[in-house]
Amino acid sequence: MIKKVFIFVLFFVITQNYYFNSYAVEPEEILTNKKQEILARKISKNIRCMVCQNESIDASSAPLAKDLRILIRNKIQEGKNSEEIYKFLTDRYGDFILLKPPLKIITFPLWFLPFFILIISIIYVFWLNKKSKKT
Amino acid sequence: MINIIGNFSLWLALCFSAFQFLNSLKKNNNSLIYLNKIAVNGLLICTLISFFSLMYGHIVSDFSLANVFQNSHTTKPLLYKISGVWGNHEGSMLLWILILNIFNYFIFKLYNEKNLRFVSKILETQALIIFGFILFTAITSNPFELMQELNENGLGFNPILQDPALAIHPPLLYVGYVGFSAAFSISLAALTLEDNSIPWHTYMKPFVLAAWTFLTIGITFGSIWAYYELGWGGWWFWDPVENASFMPWLLGTALIHSLITVERKGILQSWVLLLSILAFLLSVIGTFLVRSGILTSVHTFALDPSRGIYILIFTAILASYSLFLFGLKLKKNPTNNYLSFFSKEGSILFNNILMVTVCFSVFLGTIYPLLIEAFTNNKISVGEPYYNATVIPIIIPAIIVMGVGPILSWGGVNKSKLFKKVFPAILSTLIMTFLTFMFYQSYSFVGLIGISLAFWIISNNIIMWFKKKEKLSIGMIISHLGVGFLILGITGSSVWQQEKIIKMKLKNEVKIKNYNIVFEEIDEIKGSNYLALRGNFYVYNEKRKLITILQPENRYYPITNNFTTEAAIDTNLIRDLYIVIGNGNINEGWTVRLYHNPLVMWIWFGAIVIFIGGIISTNNNLKKMKSLRK
Amino acid sequence: MNKKLLILPAIIFSSILLVFFYLLIIDRDPSGIPSALINKKIPKFETKSLLTEETFISSDLFNNEITLVNFFATWCKPCRDEHDNIKKLSNEGGLKIIGINYKDNNEKAIKWLKELGNPYTSVGIDKNGSIAIDWGVYGIPETFVVDSSGIIKYRHVGPITNKIYNKINMIVIAIK
Repeated sequence: MIKKVFIFVLFFVITQNYYFNSYAVEPEEILTNKKQEILARKISKNIRCMVCQNESIDASSAPLAKDLRILIRNKIQEGKNSEEIYKFLTDRYGDFILLKPPLKIITFPLWFLPFFILIISIIYVFWLNKKSKKT
Repeated sequence: MINIIGNFSLWLALCFSAFQFLNSLKKNNNSLIYLNKIAVNGLLICTLISFFSLMYGHIVSDFSLANVFQNSHTTKPLLYKISGVWGNHEGSMLLWILILNIFNYFIFKLYNEKNLRFVSKILETQALIIFGFILFTAITSNPFELMQELNENGLGFNPILQDPALAIHPPLLYVGYVGFSAAFSISLAALTLEDNSIPWHTYMKPFVLAAWTFLTIGITFGSIWAYYELGWGGWWFWDPVENASFMPWLLGTALIHSLITVERKGILQSWVLLLSILAFLLSVIGTFLVRSGILTSVHTFALDPSRGIYILIFTAILASYSLFLFGLKLKKNPTNNYLSFFSKEGSILFNNILMVTVCFSVFLGTIYPLLIEAFTNNKISVGEPYYNATVIPIIIPAIIVMGVGPILSWGGVNKSKLFKKVFPAILSTLIMTFLTFMFYQSYSFVGLIGISLAFWIISNNIIMWFKKKEKLSIGMIISHLGVGFLILGITGSSVWQQEKIIKMKLKNEVKIKNYNIVFEEIDEIKGSNYLALRGNFYVYNEKRKLITILQPENRYYPITNNFTTEAAIDTNLIRDLYIVIGNGNINEGWTVRLYHNPLVMWIWFGAIVIFIGGIISTNNNLKKMKSLRK
Repeated sequence: MNKKLLILPAIIFSSILLVFFYLLIIDRDPSGIPSALINKKIPKFETKSLLTEETFISSDLFNNEITLVNFFATWCKPCRDEHDNIKKLSNEGGLKIIGINYKDNNEKAIKWLKELGNPYTSVGIDKNGSIAIDWGVYGIPETFVVDSSGIIKYRHVGPITNKIYNKINMIVIAIK
């Protein structure tokens, strides 16, 4: 059982790490330091374009998206980490700007219910199975 | 004139649907079939007339019709005038209704001496659904409203919507949704049935297969359009409306598999009945989300809360009626079936649990922002990162089991025998995965998982194909192969994509992967309804041989004052070369975006192979159903 | 045991439908986003003033009276549409309104205000949009209502229509 949980958590963690193409980043925005640019892309992929429908700022050519992309890169060059940058943005734009809903009490059901449903259904099936084995 | 014909036939259809619903109150069996024949044919003819009246209005550009004025223009090519009929809310409702009545006709054709009451019950539920849809359309979304004044031309069009893939996308999707309505009606008929001799699952299977198959290809064409047209290289955005099509698809997948266990072992009957109810209810809720104005999305039609309230009430009626019936009439099947995990029924049950869980995640993610908004003053976003984190980990075990499931036997297997059977596939997977990584020369854990899963499925199914066991359905092998190809494409294009974003002046050269690309010239061109700036990029391989000339454009459409970018894409089975030209001028050069996306073609190829497998299975099951009824 | 379990999907479904129903009947804008700055102190900023030589410092401007802050630009059509209502808020409502000129051309802005009338007590220049980002602005025009202790009480995105004009007046009365 613990092994199952561990594997599940491992999947969670692993499926988070990607390098992404951007279809809106302009050549002059790209940082020369590759590691910083990858971090910028990672953060940008999670920041919603406030004036578009369901896009990240990395995919939008809107002016505000560009401003935010540049702001994020400036902050990275200043040495800020992703938490600080997310906080900077949510202080001003609220949680809405995050495409990945933050883990708060109000979003516990969102993050845990699917997992919970999975466990419950597996347990239910096992229980039904056990019951029928008796008869 | 057209509007009178169209409107009148629509209201007449409403009467016929009420007539069909009331027919079930008749006790006399003989007149029942005759009366339903009138109802079904009447409905079909009326909706055909209504639909083609609207289409006629669009084709001849009759701008006295508000629907034509708002959505059409004389310069639109004929194909898009036709597809424009369903490219708007009112017209698409009319298409829904037409397809509902075509399926209604197919259901009527199921009649034989043995299944009178059963099919009549199906028709009764179907009539209720049709009545609701026509009432909604006729009252709140009538396509035949007239303009107050006659304009010379229409409000034009959105140029990016004029695309063949997009034109065919809604009708295919609607066949999917409506197919699930038939499964829904069959489920309710089965619940109220006292006669256990009627194999309701044999009736249900072809409908579910057809619905799922067309939903698959409908979603695929939408994604193909997005990738080739929008210039973002994306093909799935977890947009609420996309999710609304994905959820019935997931439940449909679960249904196809569990229907097999009902057929062969007679188990999971109540589960299948519930699933088919939920699949259609989700389709209707999807309709609600798209058309009610409750949320904004790139896909939503015009926002109008009054429409939303109507659909909501209709959904509530359908949901309470069906779920109440389900709870009431559920027969207690003796649960003397022990399921071993290592059996075909065990693997199918596992698949069902996982499909339903994924469906639940997608549903929760889609409505959660609405829930938050209702209960707090806040708004949150639930975007791609959420879905990736919740859906992918659950799909992975489903795919692993999918490789092995078809070769498991009913009732359980000898585990060591199973290992022997499966060993060639394991070997093949390891070899192919290794070769792929050698070819791409890059290591990525996510890539590893994806590629090995893909080859696991492909290996297993190719082996099954060559072993040619008659018991194994060829449609299934093909569809499963398609899934393997799909995963290959998704993994390759996500994990090994490369980009080059630079400013290029004329005659500049850039290298991506092992291609050299030269920006030869730029010209201004004139299209049928647009002006464009077009770049000419010569693509050379490492041997300096010219492979292709890519010509991305920046277009301006004067009529709608719209700018669009047209990506130029060179596609083959190994990779896509995708190029977009941005802003710039002759002195400073232009912004050029170059993308190398490996294995993209396998996504579309895989999906189409799934579709072909589905068609074959649907056909086989139709034959089975026909022979059973003789 | 089983029968009770079957009522569960029905209950869950109806609750969700009720929530949707509620959302449909209330007055809401499905694309509007609530400001993250409500009930927080105004962001500090310092920039050049558009119409005078002085520097424009936030702490000097907001002193113990209810103030409106309006982000605008000459290239923004809804800003032009709402301008009359802004003037009304200033003249008839007697409200102090500060303007922030967003990503604009100074000469054009000065000319614009001269021609259309200047409802602002002072105007600050936000050349690169950083002040707007600090205020969580995403789509101009945007108007904020700040109370006498410098706390942001309300934000409206989009032009001040007649309906919103009334709403702002009511809010101002409420926070007095």
